[in-house]
Amino acid sequence: MITMDAFAVSVPFLPVLSALLILAFFRRSQPLAARTSVTFMSLAFFGAAVLLVHYLLSGQAHVLDFGGSWGTIWLDPLSLVLWTFISGISLIVHIYSVRYMVEEPGYGRFFALLDLMTAVILFMVAAADLITLVVAWFLVGVILYFLLGHDHRRPAAGRYAFWTQITYRFGDLPLWFAALILIRSYHSISLPVIFAQIQSHPGLQIWGLPITEVTGVLLALAAFSRSAQFLLHTWLPYTMDGPTPVSALMHAGIVNAGGFLFNRFAPLFEHAGMALHLAFAVGLVTAVTGSALMLIQNDIKRSLGYSTMGQMGFMVMECGLGAFPLAVFHLIAHGFFKASLFLGSGNVIGDARRHDGVPPDPIYTSVVERRPAKPSRLPWLVAASLTVLVPMVVIGLSHFFVAERLFYEQGVVVLLFFGWVTGAQALFAAHKMSQQDPWRLMMGILVSFVVVVIGYTLISHYFAHFLYPSLKESQGLFQAASIRALSFDALVFLLAAIFVGGWALTFFADSLELGNHLGRRGRALYLMFYALLSRELYVADVYAYLSQVLLRWSRWLNVWLGWC
Amino acid sequence: MVWSLGLLAAILLPLFPLSWAFNRLLTSLPGGWSQALAVIVLPQAGLELLRFSHIAHHVPPSWRLYGGLWAVFSSLLYAFRAITAREVGIWTRLLVSSGLALAWLAWLSGAPLATVQVFALAFCVPAALLFLLTAALTRRMGGAYLGLQGGLVVALPRLSASLVVTALALLGTPLFPAFFVLWRSFGQLPLAWVPLLMPLPLLWGWATGRFFQDLLYGDFRGEPMTDLGRMTSALIGLVLFASLFLNLFGGGFGA
Repeated sequence: MITMDAFAVSVPFLPVLSALLILAFFRRSQPLAARTSVTFMSLAFFGAAVLLVHYLLSGQAHVLDFGGSWGTIWLDPLSLVLWTFISGISLIVHIYSVRYMVEEPGYGRFFALLDLMTAVILFMVAAADLITLVVAWFLVGVILYFLLGHDHRRPAAGRYAFWTQITYRFGDLPLWFAALILIRSYHSISLPVIFAQIQSHPGLQIWGLPITEVTGVLLALAAFSRSAQFLLHTWLPYTMDGPTPVSALMHAGIVNAGGFLFNRFAPLFEHAGMALHLAFAVGLVTAVTGSALMLIQNDIKRSLGYSTMGQMGFMVMECGLGAFPLAVFHLIAHGFFKASLFLGSGNVIGDARRHDGVPPDPIYTSVVERRPAKPSRLPWLVAASLTVLVPMVVIGLSHFFVAERLFYEQGVVVLLFFGWVTGAQALFAAHKMSQQDPWRLMMGILVSFVVVVIGYTLISHYFAHFLYPSLKESQGLFQAASIRALSFDALVFLLAAIFVGGWALTFFADSLELGNHLGRRGRALYLMFYALLSRELYVADVYAYLSQVLLRWSRWLNVWLGWC
Repeated sequence: MVWSLGLLAAILLPLFPLSWAFNRLLTSLPGGWSQALAVIVLPQAGLELLRFSHIAHHVPPSWRLYGGLWAVFSSLLYAFRAITAREVGIWTRLLVSSGLALAWLAWLSGAPLATVQVFALAFCVPAALLFLLTAALTRRMGGAYLGLQGGLVVALPRLSASLVVTALALLGTPLFPAFFVLWRSFGQLPLAWVPLLMPLPLLWGWATGRFFQDLLYGDFRGEPMTDLGRMTSALIGLVLFASLFLNLFGGGFGA
């Protein structure tokens, strides 16, 4: 056990060592800097994977304490899974950067910062005490600032790095406050001790409110800023000015910190229903806003940025519904998917530059250009029935066979509802593609859909069992996220009405050519809505205006007080 | 007599509006070394005056509350003003005044004087280094006003790096001592005080962001300049590393 502990300690320290070696000796030697960084990162990944396998075999989670008052490491399923995921993504980004960054100035510094960033994230996800968590959480923002602003020649890079840093700092404050409340209330900085005390004394109060609710809301706020939730999202799409590998690391790993925070404090959120409801509402608004803004972008990286915002909204919404392990599964799946998209975005841009015009492609024509595709040869009623019924049956049956009890959880019902809508949307988009044999196309799509849904259901179920072996805990989270039956029914009906209305609007707008029948007022309204979206809802403009006002006051005070 | 000493202490350990005199005094001192020495010695002298006058025994409990609130206001005011300072010396003065105002809060909340002295040093040592670096920048550029000439990191990499790391140390970035003394003092205050102090790290972060923006980014188009010597920058690194090491392993918060 001692050997494994020493091995575990080495995992987050390996990137630190690499960064120190590069800064001290290899800053000017590109090959040595890259080799050192990739080697140490590979070792860290290998170590994390071995520890995960060791846990799977032994099944024992424990805390590593080095004798100080802080700096403890928690080797539990959450941290081990995230260690493997983060070091894996970071290793891919490292290898990609070896050639990608070779013509950039500050090559050695870049690798050292990348190593430090990885180390800090590893410490953050494995922190077993509040001080380590706060320190690592804070340092992520600091190091990210320098990574995003790596190219000093471009003032825009610095400006957007600053936006990120200030939003992150805003998110640090609720975490500090929550940590101070927890430390003072439970007289410990150790997370396992605090969680044990919360379970035995869940009703403790502060200022007449339950401590779990107050700290739950504060932690949710901290998570919102890191995961670019609505009103704290403006930094995310603009961070594309940083180097592409940093965008990949950020969108695949760093931005997921919100989901991690919810999961780390899951025992607290079991008693913080209001915080979960807030997370659901904010996540839902973010998912819708991010997806809407993504659709009107004409820049691939900006579009990916808003796509991340939408996904993060969905992830936070999952937490708000009590499906905590699903959020972790989502962040890992999204991380790999988004990293590959970012790392491939350069090729897409290169291809677009090389080839004049976009090749004729049915998917591109129907999805991107929004030109009416050739009508499907499937009968209308058959296509509609398949589109609406098949996802419902497949998703329902797969969950029924995996875990029937899930149907009694409100959160799962809402998620299944979203899954059904997404599946129907996918099938609807696919059936519009022209094909020689539409039945063959539809069967192919249906088989893929069934395989994906069953695979996802099985994997997410077993993953949830791995992260939260105790059924009581996962049921407690769903219970905390539940609302009164009447409100829940009303919410589901409202969501259903919105989705059906949206579909109907899209369908009739196409078939009846509603655009041509809009009156002057209708057209003005449409343009106003488009302007609102194209200006990204004016959120960044409002912030910029407010900061200018504050700067003016600060300047005025300084002049008045003679700069003393 | 006691109250006169208290007022003198509020000049030396800056508390608004008497902090104006502290800042004026620092501005009037010639050279970086004298400013660096003053920013370390004057606050410690202020704390010694507090010890000597035994003023703590004369302060009624209600005054402690109002004094604490005033210290928070003073700290926030200086942090808010620092966001528009572009001259490195002024920026340092305003931010060290912001940090040191919190030493009053720690003292008024009953922290031992030795703890408050360490608190003050955690801010004063990086501030002293920044005054030395300001002087070095002035010698090379004729002034330490940032923003006129972008991309100094290209022309003066070692000096810029030293400025960046020292500024981070001043503004309570982990693992530097200022972070831990701040965290500890937040932890000792009644929880109701914490929301009042929360804007402070945000304002410090804002001030740092603007400072770095002016210092690091853009194209440098000026004359070539001699960078800070290797030994000097290594010495600055050593001082910061020593403060970090002492904090973590030598009886600081981390021990």
